[in-house]
Amino acid sequence: MTHQLRIIDFGEVDGLRSQTLWHALAYGVSEGSPPTLSFMEPTEPYVSIGYHRSAAELDPEVCGAEGLPVYRRMVGGGPVYIDRGQLFFQVIVPATTVEARRGDAIRRLLSPAVAAFNDVGIEASLDRGNEVVLGDRKICGHAAGQIGNAVVVVGNVIDSFNHTAAASIVKAPSVEARREFLTLMRRFVSPTPTDFAAFIAAARKRYSAALDLVAVDGHLTPGEEEHLARLDRLFVDPVWVHGVHRPSERWWRAKVKSGVWVAHAKRNGTGLMVALEGERVRSLRVGSEELTELIAGSETVPEAVRILGERDSELAELLSEIASRPPA
Amino acid sequence: MTTIMVKGFEVRPDLAYDFEYHMWVEDLSDGRVRIGMDSLGVETSGTLAHLVMVEPGTELSRGEPFGSLEAEKYVGPLVAPLSGRVVAVNDTVLSNPALVQSDPYQKGWMVELEVTHWEEERSNLVSGEDRVKARFAQKITEYRLEGVLAE
Repeated sequence: MTHQLRIIDFGEVDGLRSQTLWHALAYGVSEGSPPTLSFMEPTEPYVSIGYHRSAAELDPEVCGAEGLPVYRRMVGGGPVYIDRGQLFFQVIVPATTVEARRGDAIRRLLSPAVAAFNDVGIEASLDRGNEVVLGDRKICGHAAGQIGNAVVVVGNVIDSFNHTAAASIVKAPSVEARREFLTLMRRFVSPTPTDFAAFIAAARKRYSAALDLVAVDGHLTPGEEEHLARLDRLFVDPVWVHGVHRPSERWWRAKVKSGVWVAHAKRNGTGLMVALEGERVRSLRVGSEELTELIAGSETVPEAVRILGERDSELAELLSEIASRPPA
Repeated sequence: MTTIMVKGFEVRPDLAYDFEYHMWVEDLSDGRVRIGMDSLGVETSGTLAHLVMVEPGTELSRGEPFGSLEAEKYVGPLVAPLSGRVVAVNDTVLSNPALVQSDPYQKGWMVELEVTHWEEERSNLVSGEDRVKARFAQKITEYRLEGVLAE
């Protein structure tokens, strides 16, 4: 018997279905459907939050009842803004076929997508943090998870991206923090205008070869249709959407890509905001009312801690602690 | 509590282990067990970002998830190695998942169960210092051959 890679291109779908369709496929693969590669393009903007995250992290004036629909997915990562101009792909395989080490599993299941980017003329690569990058810019959001007995890796091809809208969805503690988040996002997240049909054709070929499976066009099974109907209801259930209660964090932080993030914290009434890129501090602002710039260069973390320490040793200690705990 | 090193991995030889799910089990001798993740599970998970566990009172069958963890944007289940009712959850690791990595056998414990099928299910666990050491060594060797662990 020939082992198949089921290919389903759903084309344009509404925001809800751009989430529930592939979750239904995951339950199907978990119950015996063949490994599957699926594609879809959302036709409307919405916000997606990771399984372990909460809608309470979002700006209520932008998201939820008064704004963008919010859907909580069953894979990881943080809040993301999704809109037209993005092609989503999902590779779904039985959990027994993936590597024991999670990072290795993600790498293997994203590598064919990177090859597909290359096939359509985009010199993408996978960096050490398993981000799909072009140079140092992230060009594909990804997340993964085990749903039932299937593992899903999700990614996207970004033809166009509204950085301002994407930076507006999170509840930021200050104007400066939101501005810094937007600055980092503009610097480190790039769309890569792409012919989606060409990418789909390339991904089909690359995943088929990498998984040693024969690509065959397919469709939802009756069982998957039932899962889809159930998931369509679940994903709009306010309790589900609200997500997981998270223990209060000692500081606010927002990740742009692996190793690049902004954090905001307060100690003794004085605020601190820092933008970090790996081991370097891109900017550091402190102040009790307005946050004034202290560093706007590329000092190392120890240098920044020393500079801040000359002004406030407790804040310097806090900066050191923040820098030592990047978002995973 | 004494730990030993087996091929570079910390092991508590007085515990029982489920090598399918990489969970350890401590018999608390009053019908309850304490459960956590072993050092190989910690190593293969990556840096833990989030942990969620079921509420006390939840009834579990062996093989069912008692929670989930997220590392490297990958969400996966925490699987119960025994059947029982959850009687305690370690709130400390929920707010600080890094404890599971830094102290997997003590402060990093996850849940306590009142076990319901101890006699039938204990045979799925590996216990006894010599057997535990041998199975850890075997698993580490397998993982190294598969490239899961670096030499």
